[in-house]
Amino acid sequence: MYKLLATIKKETTILLRDQFGLAILFLMPIVLIIVMTFVQDAAFSSINEKGVKIVLVDNDQDSLGVAIKRGLKSTDLVELSDSIDGKLATEESALSAIKNGAFLLGVVIPKNATNNIRHSVDGLIQSTLGNEVSNQSLSDSVEIKIIIDPIAKNTIIEGVLSNLREFISGIKTKVMFETFSEQIAEVIPDQENKPQNTYEKSQIITYKKQFASSFEHHKVPTAVQHNVPAWTIFAMFFIVVSLVANIMNEKKEGSVFRLKTVPSSYLTLIMGKVTVFVVICTLQFFSMMLIGIYVLPMIGLDALDLGGNMLGVTLLAISTSFAATGFGVLVGTFAKSQQQGAILGSLLVLLLSAFGGIWVPTYVMPGSMRMISELSPMNWSLSGFYDLFLKGADTIDILWNCLKLMLFFILTTGMAIRMNVLKR
Amino acid sequence: MTHNQILYIEKLTKQYKGVEEPSLKSIDLTINKGEVFGLLGPNGAGKTTLISIICGILKPTYGRVLVDGKDIYSHKDSIKELIGVVPQDIALYPMLTAKENLNYFGALYGLKGKVLEDKINYWLERLGLSHAANKRIDKFSGGMKRRINLIASVLHDPKILFLDEPTVGIDVQSRAEILEQLKIINKQGTTILYTSHHLDEAENLCTNIGIIDFGNIIAKGSPSELVKNTEEARNLEDVFLHLTKRKLRD
Repeated sequence: MYKLLATIKKETTILLRDQFGLAILFLMPIVLIIVMTFVQDAAFSSINEKGVKIVLVDNDQDSLGVAIKRGLKSTDLVELSDSIDGKLATEESALSAIKNGAFLLGVVIPKNATNNIRHSVDGLIQSTLGNEVSNQSLSDSVEIKIIIDPIAKNTIIEGVLSNLREFISGIKTKVMFETFSEQIAEVIPDQENKPQNTYEKSQIITYKKQFASSFEHHKVPTAVQHNVPAWTIFAMFFIVVSLVANIMNEKKEGSVFRLKTVPSSYLTLIMGKVTVFVVICTLQFFSMMLIGIYVLPMIGLDALDLGGNMLGVTLLAISTSFAATGFGVLVGTFAKSQQQGAILGSLLVLLLSAFGGIWVPTYVMPGSMRMISELSPMNWSLSGFYDLFLKGADTIDILWNCLKLMLFFILTTGMAIRMNVLKR
Repeated sequence: MTHNQILYIEKLTKQYKGVEEPSLKSIDLTINKGEVFGLLGPNGAGKTTLISIICGILKPTYGRVLVDGKDIYSHKDSIKELIGVVPQDIALYPMLTAKENLNYFGALYGLKGKVLEDKINYWLERLGLSHAANKRIDKFSGGMKRRINLIASVLHDPKILFLDEPTVGIDVQSRAEILEQLKIINKQGTTILYTSHHLDEAENLCTNIGIIDFGNIIAKGSPSELVKNTEEARNLEDVFLHLTKRKLRD
């Protein structure tokens, strides 16, 4: 124990003397969190909050145009405009504006679209009632043109198209209902008891959103809730670079030779290092959380909400710190030079983060990649933090994540110790 | 192994992976208590490999090493308490002060509290470094680093001290001081095994010399015996060149 404490004291002193290294350890993650959350929040907001920029060319100027306009304006997905440079948008000006990147999509409603729908619906009703109808009435159709910026993602296009289909279908049903009402009114002589047009009031099917969360008042997943834990874990694993430098310096400076001749086990010496770096990682974690809670709101982002289970958060943070440190010890022991270790460590962290769901959420990954992502310790940690921050998980719910991270630490440190023995 | 022997080496062989020739070829060597044994040899002769095996840093391919009657593999930790190693390179933390380095390495030998502090102060005083006790190692001159390197290896009063070229690349004063201290350390009862390229230094310091080349001990005896037994040799350097030839080795 005394030897372990002496090693911890030595490691702490060395770390505190390397002020540049220490600054990097804390400043790099802070910058990373702020930049990545800001960038991803902007992207997230452009789709979810401000919405996709769409220009509407309403050549109809009747119910369909009004309904589409009202409908698109009511959705968070869209930032709608019907004018370009202060002039009412035309098909040509919309095409040009989309080419220039001012809008992502354009919706062109043709002339007489509402009238054509009315004719078409009327024809259908007459035909249903057995009356003679011209073929022209039945084949009347409305073509709404969608102008698309080629860079627009398919999911965005499909989202907007789906909304349009819903509005058009609504208008069609409404026209159909009105026409039916008129037809029935014509055959019912009693004007006082004629059917009321109650379509506007009716809402047969409604939707209610419910998040799969234990929180009584659900939390809306924001870019901050997703990005702060993700990039914090990434930064914690990047401690591999500092650990490799620390281990390599001992080799380069020759102190490792002396350490091999003293009556202390490699386990004691390595645990001294591990203890200090686990503390650093955990401090990194809580600093990042404080940045999320207090600093991000100052720059216009949402405040991070830790979810209230501080025991769970602390346990998972410490387990992640152990996993990150164990990984660093293994890379540092394996590497033959500081340069080799730094490159190898950084690449492995990038890989683990890529398939661990740090860069892209695992649910958008193909099936095979999702299976691989289950092998990344970063994924174990991230999914645990998502459970705590977004779903209000209990400590017991994240214990398996903690256990896997601790097993990863034992495995990597064990491999490092074995490798050290084999090097003899 | 007799009671008077502190180091007993039998048929020690080391074959590195991927290297055709073994670095050590069935070496037999004994060193008596109280000796200053000089292990001399050209670059690549096997000196550092031999010391590294005796200190438990490297595993031999074959052979047996006993220190103070104990096998170095079955009594690894207790043997490490008996030995001190002064490596060829400065094996200290440059970002720590002299005292912090000595406190740490002393603690790893199980020394603590006032005992450790007194020992550190004693040795710093003895090697003329008290004034630099709280100075960082990276601010030290080469000679000062060598002296601290020596202190870090003797704090725990080892029974046998291994020195791998302890005076390489330092000023004359520091070299003289280190050699003087080694003589005192030896007089106080510590056996010394020492490697060097300074043959005059070895001739002056050592009671016995072993010359190693291509992994074999090719000569052994006191400096005067070796000079006497070698034709036309006036000093140890003549003996060394006669036995190892003048051909460059690296």
